[in-house]
Amino acid sequence: MAEAVRELKFRGGGFAPGRKRWTALVFFALVLGIWQLAGSRGWVSPLFLPSPLAIFEALRAEAISGNLWIHLTASLQRIGLGWVLGTLAGLALGLAMGLFTLARSVGLPLVSAFFPIPKIALLPLFILWFGIGEASKLVTIGMGVFFPTVVAAYSGVDTVPRNLVRMAQSFSLPYSAIVWKVVLPGAMATIVAGFRITVSLALILVVAAEMIGAEYGLGAFIISAGHLMMTDRLLGGVVCLSILGLLAGTGITLLERRLLHWR
Amino acid sequence: MKRLLLGAVCAFSLTVGTAVQGGVQAADEITVAALTFVSSSPLFIAQERGYYEEEGLDVSFEFFRAAQPVAVAIASGDADFGVTAFTAGFYNLAANGSLKVIGAQSREEPGFEFSAYLASNAAWEDGLKAPEDLPGHELGITQRGSSFHLMLGLLAEELEFDVDAVKLTTLEAVPNMMSAVSTDQVDAVILPGWLARRIEGEDGGRIIGWVHDYTPYQLGGLFTSSDNVEERRDVVERFVRAYQRGAADYAEAFHQFDEEGNRVFGEEAEALIPIIQQYTDATPDAIKASASYIDPEGALDVGSVYQQVEWLQEQGLVAAQADPASFIDLSFIDSHFNLPE
Repeated sequence: MAEAVRELKFRGGGFAPGRKRWTALVFFALVLGIWQLAGSRGWVSPLFLPSPLAIFEALRAEAISGNLWIHLTASLQRIGLGWVLGTLAGLALGLAMGLFTLARSVGLPLVSAFFPIPKIALLPLFILWFGIGEASKLVTIGMGVFFPTVVAAYSGVDTVPRNLVRMAQSFSLPYSAIVWKVVLPGAMATIVAGFRITVSLALILVVAAEMIGAEYGLGAFIISAGHLMMTDRLLGGVVCLSILGLLAGTGITLLERRLLHWR
Repeated sequence: MKRLLLGAVCAFSLTVGTAVQGGVQAADEITVAALTFVSSSPLFIAQERGYYEEEGLDVSFEFFRAAQPVAVAIASGDADFGVTAFTAGFYNLAANGSLKVIGAQSREEPGFEFSAYLASNAAWEDGLKAPEDLPGHELGITQRGSSFHLMLGLLAEELEFDVDAVKLTTLEAVPNMMSAVSTDQVDAVILPGWLARRIEGEDGGRIIGWVHDYTPYQLGGLFTSSDNVEERRDVVERFVRAYQRGAADYAEAFHQFDEEGNRVFGEEAEALIPIIQQYTDATPDAIKASASYIDPEGALDVGSVYQQVEWLQEQGLVAAQADPASFIDLSFIDSHFNLPE
């Protein structure tokens, strides 16, 4: 009886989606090309979909007049400050909820109850409470950032392997050392993933925040362009937000590499 | 990847396709885009009293919550006729060539209280007692290029003050303007009169003047798509006739004064109020308080439109190439007035 030798291919490669720079670039170029063609051939009315060139022109005009930088810096300040405030508060509550029973019993229903409230619907109230100045804008962004950060932080703490914590405890490490050296690094992956979401949220919310009482800012620029039916400027503002989103995403990838290099 | 790309391209061309087409329905079925405001009353009256029907039109309404979407609906071909206030956004849309203004909505007419200048209590204490005092103060508006911004611009032209001397704060919506002025966060706002009266009644501010006393002007218009004017002229003519009958009924009912010059609302008004109520959901008192002047023949104050466009262009809010002559079609109504040479 001759035993047939069957070659086995290695099948346990898992899923490993990689990234190829070129495909993304080619895809973007193709979409832009078709878009521009549709505009310049007159297939689409420039009002309904301004061509990429028209959008670029509108942005260039804003950049030359210097307004674009004023809008950008105004929004970046609000986004930055609002995000930092929301993140700090969210981390504080989220980590406390991950570590302490009392915080968790109070915090969990609190988050469930307040997270789903649309902050935009509360804008008239925010005006009454915080005025039409910077405070109401920071609160709008901060609130939007706060809740996802809380969820990310406490579920991050929950995902830290129990046996690691138990091992540290049996080596009788002090409480603070366990938190600093085991729990926090273990939770960091989930927390940073949360940052990815909250930075995008801050960019979304800056438009809502600048609906009211903002003379400058990308959100104010976009809303005003929409009301004026200047669709090329409107999309120009949106492009700026996308670019900011891309930059923030890249920044977080770098942060991930730094904070999570131990993995 | 290839398939994905193909799918994306298909989806893209599909959305573009639907955005480009639209409109063009069976001859006499038409869609009217409107706001549920008293200023749209002629539209409702014509429907309920059967004036459209007598012209052989089957009208259905599409209601919106803001002026902008009404104009967009006409430009995109989703609706045939619209009635809203004039704003910079409207003029930019019209300048694009897709809209034609063919008749009038409300106007600020001397003697008809419609929009009021309202000062906050704190600003009033500090000496903001008349619209003449506005320079140096902060005015809350919904958005740049809105009716309220326009009213300020016209006031500045009338009183010959520098409009930049009034600091603008954009508050997005009327309720925000109301809460901002009653908490002294802005010095003044321009509000529909009945809302201004309500705030004054609650001691949240002081009315310091009425727009009709300073700058009577054409608030808004009746408009249709350029395609309708070119391809379905008789439908537009019939619609305008029905609209004019509605406007005439409205004027008959709501433009009455007693001997002392106070507005009175007689039997005619009482007969129309339930019709208007059906669409606007407002109380009879609110309807009377917000019943603006509507030209009985739907005639436009054409010069006022030219003035508005010019001012908005000076402010950089309306495209420089916008030409009122290209988007106003005077051929459907004979009695348009104040025509520029």
